[in-house]
Amino acid sequence: MGLRSTLRYAVLALLLVGLIAGGALWAQRRQPVIVTALMPAPFAQATEPIVATFNRTHPDIELRVNRGPFETESISDLAISSLLLGDSPYDLLLMDVTWTPKYAAAGWLAPLEPLLGEDALAGVVPGAQEGNRFDGHLWRIPLVADMGLLYWRTDLMAAPPRTPDELMATASRLQRSGRVRWGYVWQGRQYEGLSCVFLEVLRAFGGQWLTDSGDRVELGNPGGVAAASWLRQLIDRGITPRAVANFAEPEALQSFEAGDVALMRNWPYAWAELQKPGSKVRGKVGVTTMVATSEGATAATQGSWGFSLVSQSPHPREAALVIAALTSPEVQKDLARRLGYTPTLSALFEDPELVAANPVLPELRRALDHTVLRPLSPLYAQLSDILQRQLSEVITGERQAPAAMERAQRLSNQVLRASGVGTSAVEATP
Amino acid sequence: MNLLLTLPALLLLALVFAVPLLRYGWLSFHADSVITGLQPVPNGGANWLRLIEDERFWQNTVQTLRFAGLSVALELLLGLALALLLHQRWRGRTAVRTITLLPWALPTAVMALGWRWIFNDPYGPINALVQALGQPALPFLSSPASTWFVVVLADVWKTTPFVALLLLAGLQTIPSDLYEAFALDGGSPWQALRRITLPLLLPYAFLAVLFRLAQALGVFDLVQILTGGGPAGSTETLALYSYLTAMRFLDFGYSATVMLGMFLLLLGLTTALLLGRRWLAGGRA
Repeated sequence: MGLRSTLRYAVLALLLVGLIAGGALWAQRRQPVIVTALMPAPFAQATEPIVATFNRTHPDIELRVNRGPFETESISDLAISSLLLGDSPYDLLLMDVTWTPKYAAAGWLAPLEPLLGEDALAGVVPGAQEGNRFDGHLWRIPLVADMGLLYWRTDLMAAPPRTPDELMATASRLQRSGRVRWGYVWQGRQYEGLSCVFLEVLRAFGGQWLTDSGDRVELGNPGGVAAASWLRQLIDRGITPRAVANFAEPEALQSFEAGDVALMRNWPYAWAELQKPGSKVRGKVGVTTMVATSEGATAATQGSWGFSLVSQSPHPREAALVIAALTSPEVQKDLARRLGYTPTLSALFEDPELVAANPVLPELRRALDHTVLRPLSPLYAQLSDILQRQLSEVITGERQAPAAMERAQRLSNQVLRASGVGTSAVEATP
Repeated sequence: MNLLLTLPALLLLALVFAVPLLRYGWLSFHADSVITGLQPVPNGGANWLRLIEDERFWQNTVQTLRFAGLSVALELLLGLALALLLHQRWRGRTAVRTITLLPWALPTAVMALGWRWIFNDPYGPINALVQALGQPALPFLSSPASTWFVVVLADVWKTTPFVALLLLAGLQTIPSDLYEAFALDGGSPWQALRRITLPLLLPYAFLAVLFRLAQALGVFDLVQILTGGGPAGSTETLALYSYLTAMRFLDFGYSATVMLGMFLLLLGLTTALLLGRRWLAGGRA
């Protein structure tokens, strides 16, 4: 090979390299940063127009939404599987409130205060602010508020019951008069919903799940036993059907919607369902907070959804921008107006347009003043699982309430002790 | 040469079977959970001690064995009846053969949701019938005593066709001249079933039981959707427990231990079955 031809090849190669590099640079400049968010299917659908608007107004970011499964825990399974493999395709996760400590402790999330500021939750209703911080960091920005409510039939009673005794009396009276088949339905299936129901009853009787210090479970105390006994009594007296032992939200809603029941415990989503044309109780439903005894206080289990940033995300800055945009007042108002989603920002509860469209909004705002958090601990899933099993034994009559609660306490404390924690849960308690 | 030819298969087996098993064995001697920041920390035999003392593990073992035992037994009986029926010549047999296979073809998740609705209290079709007869609705899925039976029923409905198919294949290998000779000697059809069909079908029945037992002992999707392990944990199986421990509690060390516990159980059962079969064959010879 002569010198000339070598030179010619060298020039050609250089030209080629330059072309590729230039092309890559050009492509880089034109290509927006891709931010991927995993959401449960209903949220993915609800935010479709919002995402489209975001992508139009932000040419440098392309927000992609991954439509996850419908069920809460299936979303978690999907997210966890990808996070475990270490190369998560997601930058953002729309998370249930109970996942935060577990995900944070596993190192899967990035703290948000460096990106969004310490006052990122400033406009959020106090009741929805809780459950987003853990171990001194902010991990999640709430998008939709959710809390346990007591639904009552306005055509059957003048005012909703305020105490557990009143609830039983009202329900029994209505059942005896033959106007309803059942008095009160709730979620009694062995799953997370049962823990939510129980937490409200527990507070109503002055009990506590975890001690303030966060290192001991106290379900065996009088409040816990009274709460579990009350749930059993509802079934024994025929106020709640035995079938409640397999009731999740849809089953409870189904019987209430059919006009068979006087009272129901459910989440805010049920309101819109009950106002649909097919509902037999349309226009006959009121919403209030849970009953309570004088030893306890009315409580609404907090069950919000919010955005978290995955620590493996290659574009944390852009992803944080997406979080801010998707939890903005405009977006929350849009979701509330179009779909009746409960906002988390205080100002929106006084928005005249929203109040006019959703008459129960003031009642939801009031409930948010009574929210209670399920224990904020990386071990929460285990604690809840133990409680669910024991409650299910009480509900099905397999075990008496005192024995079951004592057992739940013992097994929970075993878990806490074996893990050698409790300490990290302490800091988390607001 | 023989060894060389089986090498690819052996390597594949090692990759998909031995490697995960060894990894689990290693993991079962470590604490690897959300508490350790998902880092494996050696903890001696703590996981195994915990397993031995874990009431839930033993309760689930009993429940898993109960479920597998009853459903496989029922599937074998019904599958045999079905196979004998489908082996006879009659009009419409082809159509019925196809229809019989349908439950097997349905995804378990869909079927489990279906059963959950069928046994719904009080709005499901069965309870609609019960109430139309003037009886109060039955809480099928809300009492531990009845719920596990519904799970068995759902499993039997779905997998009987599989057993029937295996047995049908076995029936077709039995030469018909055996039956003709037996009939000439004056044997009744009942005797033919006992003396010819059942003994010759034994290897196929054994295969079906082995397959089904392995599947039933690892049952997960059906239970997860139909009952979630409830009520009162009465339908929780070992596979469900292991899944909860790993995916919900993020305790991978202990989950591996539960999984291995289950594996040892399966190994023991299979060995017993194999020995039983050898003994049976020996007795016959």
